[in-house]
Amino acid sequence: MLRDKWRKGQGLSQPQAAAVLLFPFLAVYAAFLIYPFFMGVWISLHDWNLLAVAFNPGAKEFIGTENYVRTLWGRNIEWGLFASPVMQTVGVLGIGLAFLGYRQGRLTRATALAIGIAGALFVLLPGFYPGEDGRWYDRRFWPTVGNTILFVGLAVPGVTITALILAAALDGETRAKAILRTIFFLSQVLSVTVVTLIWQIMFSPRQGLIANVTEALGGSPIVWLTDQQFAMAAIVITTVWWSLGIAMILFLAGIQDISKDIYEAAAIDDARGIKAFWYITLPNLKRTITLVVVLQIILHFQVFGQSHLMTQGGPNDSTQVLVRYIYQTAFRDSELGKASAMAVFLFVIMGAFSLVQFVVGREED
Amino acid sequence: MHRSYYWLITALSLPAFVWLIPTIWMVSLSFQPNEVLARTTSTTAFGLIPLPFTTENYAALFSFGQTPMWFLNSAIVALGMTLGVLAVSTTAGYALARLEFPFKRAIMVLCLVGLMVPEQAVFIPLYTMFADLGWHNSYHALILPRMAVPIGVFLMMQFFRAIPRDIEEAARIDGVGWLQIFWYIMLPLARPAMMTLAILTFLYAWNDYLWPLVSAREPERFTITLGLASIQSNFAQSEGLGRVMASGVIASLPVVILFLMFQRYVVRAMTAGGTKG
Repeated sequence: MLRDKWRKGQGLSQPQAAAVLLFPFLAVYAAFLIYPFFMGVWISLHDWNLLAVAFNPGAKEFIGTENYVRTLWGRNIEWGLFASPVMQTVGVLGIGLAFLGYRQGRLTRATALAIGIAGALFVLLPGFYPGEDGRWYDRRFWPTVGNTILFVGLAVPGVTITALILAAALDGETRAKAILRTIFFLSQVLSVTVVTLIWQIMFSPRQGLIANVTEALGGSPIVWLTDQQFAMAAIVITTVWWSLGIAMILFLAGIQDISKDIYEAAAIDDARGIKAFWYITLPNLKRTITLVVVLQIILHFQVFGQSHLMTQGGPNDSTQVLVRYIYQTAFRDSELGKASAMAVFLFVIMGAFSLVQFVVGREED
Repeated sequence: MHRSYYWLITALSLPAFVWLIPTIWMVSLSFQPNEVLARTTSTTAFGLIPLPFTTENYAALFSFGQTPMWFLNSAIVALGMTLGVLAVSTTAGYALARLEFPFKRAIMVLCLVGLMVPEQAVFIPLYTMFADLGWHNSYHALILPRMAVPIGVFLMMQFFRAIPRDIEEAARIDGVGWLQIFWYIMLPLARPAMMTLAILTFLYAWNDYLWPLVSAREPERFTITLGLASIQSNFAQSEGLGRVMASGVIASLPVVILFLMFQRYVVRAMTAGGTKG
């Protein structure tokens, strides 16, 4: 019986069977990813008002790269090496680090190249500034990019370092460690709205747990979410709490790949605990660390919910981030063309990091 | 066990407890009366112990308000998306892993490129597309875009590649067709990988925020994640803090239960989803 049933489909050749099996995916893929992607680039070349085009499909105008100019550029823009000393110094240090690290064999070529390119961009991009009588066409865009980079720059090291320490401490097959791992991972499965709901009230100066504890200890509560000095910190704390889990798990997997013999040999030389972590775990985790960092950069560059729900980008735009700006430009200001240009900008940055991730991921195979 | 081991566990218990505090606090507040919370949130042990205790908030959630409907919407979207992603990913994954056909490399590269396109780069054109089709405020509008993300295809492809070829070859000699091999032999073997992919997709669907925010504009079509966001901005005045926290607990229950029941799969799913895009 079963055999007869099987025989029936025998007629299909391999390419035919492949066509049948691939068709459903390729159809949705083409319709809902490939086509929208090119459509997005197409929209970015138009003056395209959401409401106007909804009423009259002809109400869009082809304007070439005008949206990109209006977003990225300005009048009388000049470039100088000292326009933004902090960012540019970071960039120079990055290039130096990449060069030295590669020369001394501490960094692989792809990693060195990635750090070098990031460093060069940090020297180049913040160097632009409006000269005399000049101004940016969009005053909010670059500060928004700056906030996003600041967020990434705080959240990524925060998550990575905490996760690395926890993973090193919690590696092992005992019950207590398994429970602790579960606790640290648990918040990862919550949704962004639940996480921001909890932390919004945690940070509240009147009802918040943090304020209540500070008051009980005799301090005066901080107005976290509406104080320009603390709003970004609040969002970063929330993010570290939320997204530590994946990084920790990736590090645990990396640590388990390190041969136990190395640790045993080191233990004979009296290298245990922190010493073993510094001289054995860290050097052997180089590739995992790079992967986790790149992964986190990609993930956190897309930050939206924390800023949208906790601070609404404020106070004074200090927590406005790129995706939220795209969302607002498209759906509050109805400027789909300009929003799409920003989305393409975002895609280029993310694509570059994805490429690095891909190269690093394949490097040692 | 060394003495240092117990020191380590003790030393880590404190940060672990601190890590749990926000969650405990949410659960505890959801069991306290709104009138009390309006005055102070730190009645007993900074509010971490729910005294005075009440289940009123949960009763109110289910007797009126839109939370049950949002919950149902989320369940439909999450299950629909999970089934959809499983269907297109297992089939395409198998074809790419095992069958020989023209343009195979080109199709693989095309899929790989798709991994680099973030949701934020396509959500505006998707919005206009779905608006033209009149598809917004529907379940399929929330489900379809995720089915186009190639992560699942790569997960399944890697899994199928690891299965020894002998099984298929034996079946081929017996005269079994390719589709039958896929359906009767490979799919049953793929259950663990499908489970991993299912959990990854379900978690994503349940917690997704940006696309539902853009696509579902009518409150009747909100998912619970979106609905919760819509009531949290004015929690103190209209709904009462206890009730909003109860909604948060209800919204988190499915994913937390999923996590505690299938911890190994969840961890594997999130790791796979994380490293591959």
